[in-house]
Amino acid sequence: MRRVLDEYRAISDEVLKPHEKRVPRFLEAMKKSLDSRANWTFWLPYVLSLDTCMKCGTCAEVCPVYLSSGRREIYHPAVRADALRKIYRRYFTLAGRLFPWLVGGEELTEEKLDALVEGSYRCTVCRRCAYVCPVAIDNGLLIREARKILDAIDIAPDELREKGTRKQLEMGNATGTPTPAFMDIVEFLAEEIQDTRGYKIEIPVDKRGAEYLVMHNAGDYLAFAETVMGAAEIFHAAGVDWTLNSPATGINDVVNYGVFFSDVEFEKVLRAQVKTCIDLKIRTLVVGECGHAFEAFKYLMMRLIPEEERPFEVKSILELIDQWIREGRIKVDPRKNPEPVTYHDACKLGRLGGLYEEPRRILKACCMDFREMQPNREMSYCCGGGSGFAIMTKGDFLKFRMETYGKIKARQVEETGAGIVALACSNCKGQFREIINYYKLPVRFAGISELVANALVL
Amino acid sequence: MGWLAYLVGIVLPYVALALFVVGFIYKIICWSRAPRHLPWELFPYPHTAGERLGEMVIEVASLRSLKLHNRNIWLPSLLMHFGIYAVVAWLFLVLLGLPVALLGYLGGVAAAAGSLWMFTKRLGRDLRILTTPVEYLNLLLVFLISAGGIITGFFGEGLAVREYMLGILSLSPRLPARPSLLWEIFFLEVFLVYLPFGRMIHFAAKYFTYHRVKWGESH
Ligand code: SF4
Ligand code: SF4
Repeated sequence: MRRVLDEYRAISDEVLKPHEKRVPRFLEAMKKSLDSRANWTFWLPYVLSLDTCMKCGTCAEVCPVYLSSGRREIYHPAVRADALRKIYRRYFTLAGRLFPWLVGGEELTEEKLDALVEGSYRCTVCRRCAYVCPVAIDNGLLIREARKILDAIDIAPDELREKGTRKQLEMGNATGTPTPAFMDIVEFLAEEIQDTRGYKIEIPVDKRGAEYLVMHNAGDYLAFAETVMGAAEIFHAAGVDWTLNSPATGINDVVNYGVFFSDVEFEKVLRAQVKTCIDLKIRTLVVGECGHAFEAFKYLMMRLIPEEERPFEVKSILELIDQWIREGRIKVDPRKNPEPVTYHDACKLGRLGGLYEEPRRILKACCMDFREMQPNREMSYCCGGGSGFAIMTKGDFLKFRMETYGKIKARQVEETGAGIVALACSNCKGQFREIINYYKLPVRFAGISELVANALVL
Repeated sequence: MGWLAYLVGIVLPYVALALFVVGFIYKIICWSRAPRHLPWELFPYPHTAGERLGEMVIEVASLRSLKLHNRNIWLPSLLMHFGIYAVVAWLFLVLLGLPVALLGYLGGVAAAAGSLWMFTKRLGRDLRILTTPVEYLNLLLVFLISAGGIITGFFGEGLAVREYMLGILSLSPRLPARPSLLWEIFFLEVFLVYLPFGRMIHFAAKYFTYHRVKWGESH
């Protein structure tokens, strides 16, 4: 493994193509990113963040990567984002063209480009730094913009593009599960429920005109089936008109990895998902336990797809469960979950999504002993699975995830003394599975739906 | 030296003011005409105009972000900012005919001390790694203006300064009664020209980063 930034590699040389001349193409793509029309989706926060960082270092004091690495310079949020700012100054500002040394403009070389690529994948765009920055500068956003420029010149992790968005658009889900296999899984899950709970429920698939279409992260069917089963039990108990969908109807995977690295890929996936919902004539799309999908459908979609082109509502499964418990539509008994439970605020649901109280109300209703992790809510630390990291393991990358974000998170969990970490995001689950393993924590993680289903009183 | 005094005292003020106004308006227009980007807010955030104003005032007056998350530079930064606020307030009072010399001097001392203190903080490891020469230069400029105002006695000459400023504003410029004031006038001119194009514009940028990005856009 060739070293380019540190001892890890998120992107292999096959994708990076270090022997090609990439700098001119990069500069061309960056020029386009600075055009307010071409890049309208993020132009304002982008240029504000490029121009007005005061170099006060406050961001660094809250960045999990910087802090847990023993304050390594390359992991400093502002230094990391400066890789892009230096290019901006040198090539796209007058002062930087005239006096690059004064304002910190720097010539871009092929080697520096390599380092920029890797640096762009050492931040989960958790935006904890942006929340505390006195000027509200967003170094996470700059990382995402860097990833966008790199994607435009074909540098993106396979996990996110070839095996992510592209595969999802082709197969209907990023796991590559074809319809017959999907149907088998659903049937198997229904049997599982019967075995463990002792009653049979029907799990509707591809039902047209349903009130609720529940779209999970397709990975959940394979890795976190308890969440899928829990959701089915809850919807059954609520007695509502609901359905899952198979790839035969279009997209049956709520993820959208475009959120992490590319507006182009993002829009393609989003439009395909919206089309699926319209074809199925559903009234409400229920986003399963997936953080970034909630961000995508609840916020990012707003101005990308006009309201009249998406004739359905969007709800997080958390919002629905919370509402149903409060309305008494479903009944739960906390004594069925006696173990101490703590909750990890997924960045995309909390800081970026505003769902702080819903999961807490649910957990307090369903568990005997709910304990807050410190810090929490808007100051929650990213678990390290965000922005695609949860599915990136090559080049020792798993170790990076564990030795940085994971280290902080493991300590936080231990301090609560809880036996269960409740999670509402698939990427968080992927990361916590590894953290628990790596640090040999005496805990298990559980999806919110799983805990609710366990507490259901029928 | 007559022509130099004429240049600094009579010509440059207009050049500086013009560049400042044009530069400032250009920036503001540029940001406010930006296309509406995708929603990118951070929760929780204040919703009503009153709550937003309150948050802004608290942040500007106490530099709360630094206080909570970056204690190391909170006091020096607070000292410098309060010094600057005081000097600006002094200038306005002077224009109104209320030359409170003490306010000017106190502000000058605070800003000078604060900028020097910040300068030394910047030399520490954690800040040095992200500092470029222009950040040191910005601090020096603040220091120069505040120390200059003290040394030249500018802050104590409220009435002379007022007369001079009114002359400029009424388009009948006259050189200040005391030539030594020209030094400070020159520093202020440099500052004005530089302001819209440097990072010290952050006070205006902040409005946009908060109102248009971090706090969402009215939905
Ligand atoms: S991004 Fe914000 S917190 Fe970080 S150095 Fe820049 S101004 Fe300070
Ligand atoms: S977004 Fe998160 S990981 Fe990235 S620099 Fe900011 S605090 Fe660090």
